[in-house]
Amino acid sequence: MTAQAPLLIHVIAALIGAVYLAWRFQRIQVSPALGGMIGAAAGAVGSAIFMLPLNYCTFESERSLIDAVFGVLLIGIGMALVVLPVDALIRSVVMRRRNPNMGGTAQAGAFKGWLLPIVFLAPTLIVLTLFLYYPSLDTFRLSTLLARLGARRTLFVCVDNFTSLVSDGDYLNSFVITIFISAAIVVLGLALALGIALLAYQPIKGARIYRTLLIWPYAISPVVAGVIFLLLFNPTGGIVNYALDNVFGIKIGWLNDPTAAPWAVIIASVWKSLGYNILFYIAGLQNVSKDIREAASIDGANVAQRFFSVVLPLLSPITFFLVITNMTYAFFETFGTIDYLTGGGPLNSTSTLMYNIYEVGITNNDLGKAAAQSIVLFALVIGLTVVQFRTSGNRVNYGA
Amino acid sequence: MRKSFLFVVLAAMLALAVIPAFAQETVDVPVWIAFTDENRLGWAQDRAVEYNEMFPQYNVTVEGYANYEELFAATALAAEQGTLPAVVQYFEVATQDARDSGYFKPIAEAIGDRTDINGIAVNFDDFVGPVREYYTIDGVFTSMPWNTSSAIYFSNMTILDAAGVDTPPTTWAEIDAACELVMALETAPEYCWTFPNHGWFFEQWIAQQDEQFANNGNGREERATEVSINNDGSVALLTFLDEQLAKGYLYYSGAQGGDSWGTVDQAFSTQQVAMAAYSSSDTATYTNVGTDNGFEVVASFLPYNEVTGWTGNLIGGASLWLVDGLSTEVEDGALGFLLSINSTENAAAWHQLTGYIAVTTSANELLTEQGWFEENPNFSVAADQLAQSTITTATSGAIIGAFPSIRSVVTQAVDTALLTDEPVADVLAAAQEDANTVLEEYNLLNAE
Amino acid sequence: MATTTASETYPADYVEPVRRTLLPERWYIHAALWVICLIVGFPLFYAVLVATQNNSNVYAYQFLPGDQFENNWNIVMNLANLGNYMLNSIFITVLVTAGKTILSLLAGLAFVYFRFPGKWIVFGFVLVTLMMPTEILVIALFRFVNSIGWGNNYLALIVPFIASATGAFLFRQHFANIPAELSEAAQLDGANPLTFLIRVLIPMSMNTIGALVVIQFVYVWNMYLWPALIIQGQERQVVQVGLRTLVGADVGISFGPLMLGAVIASLPPVIIFVLLQKQFMSGFALGRDK
Repeated sequence: MTAQAPLLIHVIAALIGAVYLAWRFQRIQVSPALGGMIGAAAGAVGSAIFMLPLNYCTFESERSLIDAVFGVLLIGIGMALVVLPVDALIRSVVMRRRNPNMGGTAQAGAFKGWLLPIVFLAPTLIVLTLFLYYPSLDTFRLSTLLARLGARRTLFVCVDNFTSLVSDGDYLNSFVITIFISAAIVVLGLALALGIALLAYQPIKGARIYRTLLIWPYAISPVVAGVIFLLLFNPTGGIVNYALDNVFGIKIGWLNDPTAAPWAVIIASVWKSLGYNILFYIAGLQNVSKDIREAASIDGANVAQRFFSVVLPLLSPITFFLVITNMTYAFFETFGTIDYLTGGGPLNSTSTLMYNIYEVGITNNDLGKAAAQSIVLFALVIGLTVVQFRTSGNRVNYGA
Repeated sequence: MRKSFLFVVLAAMLALAVIPAFAQETVDVPVWIAFTDENRLGWAQDRAVEYNEMFPQYNVTVEGYANYEELFAATALAAEQGTLPAVVQYFEVATQDARDSGYFKPIAEAIGDRTDINGIAVNFDDFVGPVREYYTIDGVFTSMPWNTSSAIYFSNMTILDAAGVDTPPTTWAEIDAACELVMALETAPEYCWTFPNHGWFFEQWIAQQDEQFANNGNGREERATEVSINNDGSVALLTFLDEQLAKGYLYYSGAQGGDSWGTVDQAFSTQQVAMAAYSSSDTATYTNVGTDNGFEVVASFLPYNEVTGWTGNLIGGASLWLVDGLSTEVEDGALGFLLSINSTENAAAWHQLTGYIAVTTSANELLTEQGWFEENPNFSVAADQLAQSTITTATSGAIIGAFPSIRSVVTQAVDTALLTDEPVADVLAAAQEDANTVLEEYNLLNAE
Repeated sequence: MATTTASETYPADYVEPVRRTLLPERWYIHAALWVICLIVGFPLFYAVLVATQNNSNVYAYQFLPGDQFENNWNIVMNLANLGNYMLNSIFITVLVTAGKTILSLLAGLAFVYFRFPGKWIVFGFVLVTLMMPTEILVIALFRFVNSIGWGNNYLALIVPFIASATGAFLFRQHFANIPAELSEAAQLDGANPLTFLIRVLIPMSMNTIGALVVIQFVYVWNMYLWPALIIQGQERQVVQVGLRTLVGADVGISFGPLMLGAVIASLPPVIIFVLLQKQFMSGFALGRDK
């Protein structure tokens, strides 16, 4: 049974792939038989790309159900990774053959030769391969190991580093914290930036000076933002609490209260990224054609209606772009701020996914688990981007 | 004409560059320590200069790193690249890691039967009892003690006197009683006392109650395979801290800015608290903070649990480890430097400069002769505390793999116990499970 | 009246707005903007202030400059050795920024002005890396860089970042918008691709180059996690990590030197930004649409 199980998996995968691609091909009037053959190959290969290196360890008898579930998940992902691009590739080839004029940028001004472009691209490609692609693959390998820096050996543990995350309280906590802090940074950051941009994009005297004065915090590093707010939020010497005490009579434990600490990080991060957001919204607002706004006002819409039904939708490509950039910032670059400001926070209240990776991998020297967490984080980022694309991408209105 | 001039200049530069290389017949002895402040790094570098003058065949250089963790990482890296120095300062909890790493060689082994190295006498018996005990593993003197401290208690006597408390509290019950009086003052500080949330204090308070931290004789008889964080002593400790926090006496230094020690410093120096548990290594600083800000600072033994009584306290700090695989010249140079750093005069001077315990009996006698302890009573507290400690398995200190990671599990448990309503027993049980997993994984990868 | 600003940043068909929609609020706008600018600038302004004070001034919430500047300067530069960290940061940032710009220009040139098999695959290969921030690779990258012996070496801070997908993408977009006649004319004149790049493309891309320089300079200067991991000790460490030595030293945090260090550490990127802000702002408008 155990020897035939892998074979069974691949046969099933091949069948699924064959059916899927046959169906897809039929829809674009290409031979379904061809689709079936290619699909079978793609399905089989896809189901193997994760299972072979793992040696099917997720299905071993000593393992629990969750390992098997994870194994099935990996097979599914593997198949998707192979079948879907194959599908897309063949479709584009077919489409291009049918409409020779479709797509493709004119290459009228091209230089001759194919060696030179390779030479020009070589440094970029080499660096990207060595320092980005290779470590990515290595992260996958690491995530299947129990490894510590300086230890005598490493141990293959299959997908334990992943399945243990499900029951890891600290990890789940960092998930929640990350979503919370990121959502706050995005929403607050964009809302404030839009409000300020509405004031600053207008053609008034000294507009350029205002813009510089608003945007420069972009050049401040997350670390310095953390340091400065460490001073501002200090319980005894910080003026934020001093002001709050004098005006409202309250003092907030910004740095040692688990409910307040995330807000300290959020405020410091929004402050720093405000400039960047303002810059883009100003550019966006300036590009909203005056004609459209005039037309809307003639139609009888008041300022608020004009804003919400005309201007805001026209800003959607910028908003979309800024949501992605701010989300990336909140996920990754807040690390410097958090490290200096709260060190992961009282009671892990500011321990984001990225910070947790650092704590687990470097401070606690558990390299395998940190690699697994990195992969999950990466998948999360890609997932969120795709979701963003789907929801706003379709509604993105590029204007007149 | 220009070309030949250029040639001459180049030749001269080449000669100038080469000559020092010829003249330099000295043996390089790099020493890596985890201090970057002028005080301690500077002192160590001065000793290196002195040593180099006495023994011109050696060139001892001292390089400072920001903290032990960084030094740890740098050492691991250097090992991989084959660029290890001659001596590395490792903190005491990394003892098992140091032994497992294979980077180091026990000092006694390197010295062998010799009674002196290049004229510097070898005398392990001169070391103070608990210190010698801690650094002798399997009967072999392993690393050279240098900065040794213990956990003690600093009290702002100006405030305590005003509240009617004559002497610093010696037990937990006395802390409670003293705080009641202090907080009743009109000019009461914001809180009564605090301590840095560092695993070390947890270990100290456990050891005082004669509870062991790990199995197999605290890891000293055999490799430790299980920790025992969840014991009666720790339950008593966390319950006590919880109560103190609830009454508003304890200022929890948490993980503010990741720097719990700094928070305690700030609280004590601005008189936000009246008392603080701290490391004796900062005796000088804390005494001066008092004189600089107009209040009297008195150091005393770390208060203990009156229910269980006091067994003893642990040492803390770091020691200097000798790297394995050095050439005989480098090794001898390193050994000589290590021995000279703890010469009677040097050990005494180091203590006076910092507050770290004078690790040799002869140094202590010298200081007593000079009347140092009479003039500076705070400085003798740590040494007295150690001298009066009963040496048991618990108070010898634990040797565990992945101790730094286990310490963060402990710190987190203290965090959770104090900041949430979760019952102390549950928190400790969870922490013990986590710590055991860490230790298990460590042993899987490192045990022979 | 507003013509200078209009010609720089507004679409060509922009005309002075009609009175009834905008003018009456103008002074409100100025006032609001001033308040906002002050709020935005306040943290750094306060940091500069504290850089001249010591802790007791800070606890007393003193809003006038103190007299501790020299003392703080001494601590920052001599005790904490910030000068060394700054030099390291400048060194690697300049090298990486220059490298990224050159490599991106070449990549953009290759993608737009050449035909070769698999071009789109290669383009995709480069573009996908936009989704791979170094932070998630950090563990594996750390091991890899150590294994090739670059641990604690400037090379580890420079080489992994010297290729830029952002730059390649920006220049590709920019070059694609340049009329093909230009390159045809250049080829007729007998120019080779590099000459074309240097003589024609670069002068036409100053805004994009300026924008890219700002982005990359700020990005490299502000890197924290990677240098903290791969560099040990003080000699080759960068300033973002070096600030650590000013936090939590001695008895509690000394805010004066810390703020002074933070301000010094922020000067180079802010200066670059201010100098190149025109390019930065227009480089983005151009790259985004059309």
